[in-house]
Amino acid sequence: MTDLSVKIGSLVLKNPVMVASGTFGYAEEFKDFFDLNQIGGIITKTVTLEPRPGNAPPRIAETASGMLNSIGLPNVGVEHFIIEKMPFLQPLSTKIIVNVAGKTGEDFVEAVARLEDVERIDAYELNYSCPNVKEGGLTFSAHAAIAEEVTRNVRKVTNRPLIAKLTPNVTSISEIGKAVENGGADAVSAINTLVGMAVDLGKKQPKLSTITGGLSGPAIKPVALAKVFELVQNLSIPVIAIGGIMNATDALEFLLTGAVAIQVGTANFINPRAPLDILEGIRDYFDKNRIDEISTFIGSIKT
Amino acid sequence: MSGNKILTEATVEHLENVAEDMYRIHLYEPHIAQTSHAGQFVNIQIPKEAAVFWRRPFSIHGTRPESGIFEILFNAVGRGTQVLKKVKNSAKLNLVGPLGNTFNHPDHLKEIIIVAGGLGIAPFKLMLQNLLNRQLKKTVFFGVSSKSNLCCLDEFHRLGAECRISTEDGSQGYRGFVTDDLQNYLRKLPDLSHRQLLVCGPTPMLRKVQEIAQTFQIDAQVSVENIMACGFGACMGCPVQLAHPLDDGKQFLLACKDGPVFNMDEILLDD
Repeated sequence: MTDLSVKIGSLVLKNPVMVASGTFGYAEEFKDFFDLNQIGGIITKTVTLEPRPGNAPPRIAETASGMLNSIGLPNVGVEHFIIEKMPFLQPLSTKIIVNVAGKTGEDFVEAVARLEDVERIDAYELNYSCPNVKEGGLTFSAHAAIAEEVTRNVRKVTNRPLIAKLTPNVTSISEIGKAVENGGADAVSAINTLVGMAVDLGKKQPKLSTITGGLSGPAIKPVALAKVFELVQNLSIPVIAIGGIMNATDALEFLLTGAVAIQVGTANFINPRAPLDILEGIRDYFDKNRIDEISTFIGSIKT
Repeated sequence: MSGNKILTEATVEHLENVAEDMYRIHLYEPHIAQTSHAGQFVNIQIPKEAAVFWRRPFSIHGTRPESGIFEILFNAVGRGTQVLKKVKNSAKLNLVGPLGNTFNHPDHLKEIIIVAGGLGIAPFKLMLQNLLNRQLKKTVFFGVSSKSNLCCLDEFHRLGAECRISTEDGSQGYRGFVTDDLQNYLRKLPDLSHRQLLVCGPTPMLRKVQEIAQTFQIDAQVSVENIMACGFGACMGCPVQLAHPLDDGKQFLLACKDGPVFNMDEILLDD
């Protein structure tokens, strides 16, 4: 059987299958569906310094081959997260990556600093790219200088691996990628959702309370592949792929394109056992094709 | 207690057309049939030809635990349900369940008063099954547009309920809204203590019942309908607004996980 372990800076995953922030709750929601210890890593729902109620309904809309969401990062805040959510995560034998967001750069730094005392956090993912919050949100990953500065400031308060989650809603994703690399990020994850809109003809109004939201699901996979490819070509740090991964074939396509790991997102809503199905599918493919080292497969696309 | 939620395949035993555009499917899945309670639902993957992305939630309508069968009831009005109504016997349906919370009834009840609008009748057959051995009066107010939309009445009678029908066109029972007939009924009751309203239906009807419950000071529980992507609290796409924020600042609960059943006075009902 192929050794599926991959390295992201100092972070070693037993396999490249993780779950995307905001699609897996704090993992407990999925414990009835499969053994969570099977997968490479769990990225938590976004945690912010202060609690957030989230956006007013309607928050989601079904679209062709995907969905729009405008959830608005509801969460209990970092203090309650530590008390209420970490105890379930701590005993798991998979990597725990806490996704952090903030309204200001200082918020990111303070939230990470607070989490530093907490055991069993293996890395942070910095959510620079939520399109659905009024303050902050996109600004962090739409401006290279700001993204670099925030990353540098967070870097000063932690030695744990930092993953910067990037938005595709910019002119040049690799420019932002290079900026966070300069700021000290150990990896980037891409893509977050694409800004989109759905209209209810009957009601003559947008389907989401915030008018626009973030598009996810199979509809965005080709965009994600292009952005991941661009990042792989231009950055020295590892790229983690997110975007419409529904099955093992999708995941393998991203690995072939050069992503060292993948995150299963919207698929979790449709098939709550998707991460395990995808992992098993990757294993089968490597066994069938007699690939002994995952590293020889990653990035081996012929262009 | 309810059973764990599972991802499973149920086998179609039988599909029947029970009213105009209304269908009932009997499904074989023993875990769901044996552990579900009134108010809970299953989230079903619609066969591929419908080309819908999300699963679709269906109330658990009734169960026959000894034979491993449970039932869902639906109106074939959307892209998903139009395909579902053509499902063949022994076909498999992939589903997640049982999901959500359940209705609950205080001790010392004298009467449950069910108020259902249209397809809102779905969860109440299971409720009457669950309460079969409890000595209390069971009254069902069932409102529909026209008598061709009525279903399940014989079964409700067999389960010990007295049914009061309202049709908007007057084709059967009370002519008008079910909420008007409900008010007439409540006004004539000597006292409203130890009685409970259990409500499911379209939002305008729910709002009216919310008003009525407040006016008459009667305990009421409502099952809300909401669009949802996952059905088990992960997507957070189905918020229900609280009438009063909780102590921890929480302004929303989730229809799928905290509901679908809520106390009528704890939530705001939106369009």
